[in-house]
Amino acid sequence: MTSTGTVFDIGYQRYTDAREGRGRSRQAIFKDGVRIALGLGRGGRAKVLPWFFIVVLSVLGLGFALVAGAANRLGGPGTAEKVNLPSHSDYYGIASIILFVFGAVMAPELLCRDKRDGTINLYLVRPVTGGDYIAARWAALVAVMSVVAWLPQVLLFLGLSAGDPTPIVYLQQHWIDVPRFLLAGAAMALYVTTLSMLTASFTSRRAYASVFLVGLFVITTPFTVGLAEEIGGKAGQWISMFNLTNIPVHVNDVIFGDVSDITEDAPARKLGSAILVSWYFVWTLVPGAVLWWRYRRLG
Amino acid sequence: MTTNGTNGTALIAVNGLTKRYGDVVALNGVSFEITDGITGILGENGAGKSTAIKILLGLLQPTSGSAMILGQNASETVAARARVGYMPEHDCLPSQPSAAEFLTHMAQVSGLPPSSARTRAADTLRHVGLFEERYRAIGGYSTGMKQRVKLGQALVHDPALVFLDEPTAGLDPAGREDMLALIRKTHREFGISVLFSSHLMADIERTCDRIIVLQGGRLVQSGEVRQFTKEMETVFIEVDDNRDALVAALARRGVQVAVEHTGLTIEGPDESVYDHVRDALVEAEAPLRRMAPRRRALTELFAP
Repeated sequence: MTSTGTVFDIGYQRYTDAREGRGRSRQAIFKDGVRIALGLGRGGRAKVLPWFFIVVLSVLGLGFALVAGAANRLGGPGTAEKVNLPSHSDYYGIASIILFVFGAVMAPELLCRDKRDGTINLYLVRPVTGGDYIAARWAALVAVMSVVAWLPQVLLFLGLSAGDPTPIVYLQQHWIDVPRFLLAGAAMALYVTTLSMLTASFTSRRAYASVFLVGLFVITTPFTVGLAEEIGGKAGQWISMFNLTNIPVHVNDVIFGDVSDITEDAPARKLGSAILVSWYFVWTLVPGAVLWWRYRRLG
Repeated sequence: MTTNGTNGTALIAVNGLTKRYGDVVALNGVSFEITDGITGILGENGAGKSTAIKILLGLLQPTSGSAMILGQNASETVAARARVGYMPEHDCLPSQPSAAEFLTHMAQVSGLPPSSARTRAADTLRHVGLFEERYRAIGGYSTGMKQRVKLGQALVHDPALVFLDEPTAGLDPAGREDMLALIRKTHREFGISVLFSSHLMADIERTCDRIIVLQGGRLVQSGEVRQFTKEMETVFIEVDDNRDALVAALARRGVQVAVEHTGLTIEGPDESVYDHVRDALVEAEAPLRRMAPRRRALTELFAP
């Protein structure tokens, strides 16, 4: 009888296989960012907040679907639309504050820990630049935020289809909602991620960044609404543009061709779609450029 | 074993390196070259050791002068960093992930594919003595274990050159001994060159092949550690009587001695001095109580 065996040479050795360069480095930082944002590979406490938000947002989407489905079942097809129950176009307006808080909590988690622990120095002596690092971290949070924004809309779409007495007809008539909510969700994710990350880049303390961000989003709303009403006219419309919560919701309105409940009375709406969308890009691209510049000079 | 950097150049070549922070001059026209081996950068706190390392790693831009690492400009290259490791002096470890997860991640950030990164993380943790503890969260590690993780992350991607900034800081005597042994093993068994910064001369003397001494941002000395210690070899002689006659007998044979409180010291002796001492002892009829060679520590060499 013969036997074969394998000898494993364990322990530290020289590495002679492939090195995949900056692309692999960026990908690793991106994947690590996704894992941090979702608490994957970490203890239970790290999972609580992200999954709490995901569940709340999903329950909100499912709730919309159940109410609309019940209305359509009881009142016949199209009843939910006729009585103007909240649907895809309203979702991001209603859920925006939850998404803002989610971003305000997650962005510091991705950036502040690395600064506070000093891990950023270990990244910057590897084959990545500061620009690579921040781009990968930013992309990770955009990806997570997009999925978190899309998931309830997908549940809502499936719920509305299943709840409709004629699901096939519903799909034929409403398929256009899918690319719309994907686009609007991505716009929301880009905006929230960029502003949150820029704020988080100024401190190594997560709590400071989170509290500042939540305050920023919450305080600008009553402040700008009150001031815009007081002043009125064109100036009031422009002051209304500084309502940071409404900026991505205006874009959502443009994408759906509909007006959300929270932007219905906003004077800024009268400035027109082109200005509202341009304003969104100003508030996304400028903070994005500042964020990139801040990290680029690190190494 | 690698003897040089790419293209036959030195692993590190620094020329006229100066770094200023406003009016403070951290490095002042420093020039040196480093080839294969373990090189120590010695200096007091604030001598410019960490500044030099950070410039070589591309973390700081020099005010003037040039710093080349693995044949490339340190402030411009990104690719060369794939073959460089760095163990910082200060805290740099996240608390939540396990050592295995962290090293796997850092290997991938250095460009290794995921499967290789996982294998190398386990192998590296075995090398630094943390294999059994590798799945515990880093936040629960002792200072000595954290130092080992820091060394592990610097080695996980198999660098050609690794920078160790005060690697024994905060360690107890046993932990310090282990860390120095690990550094020696890293070079001797795997051929990884080491640039080892410390303000502890004993650590440098016992670990390094070559030494660079910085003081106030200037290069004071550089060369082989053996050369410095050889220069400072002495023979100490103690006799019961006739000490002055012995000094005179040695002087007649051309041997210069320093008279100390309890005996005589001969600086930098060669082999022939022992014959002269023997003959002088006979001539002076001086009863020998003690004769012993002694190597002065680097501490004495660079003491002001």
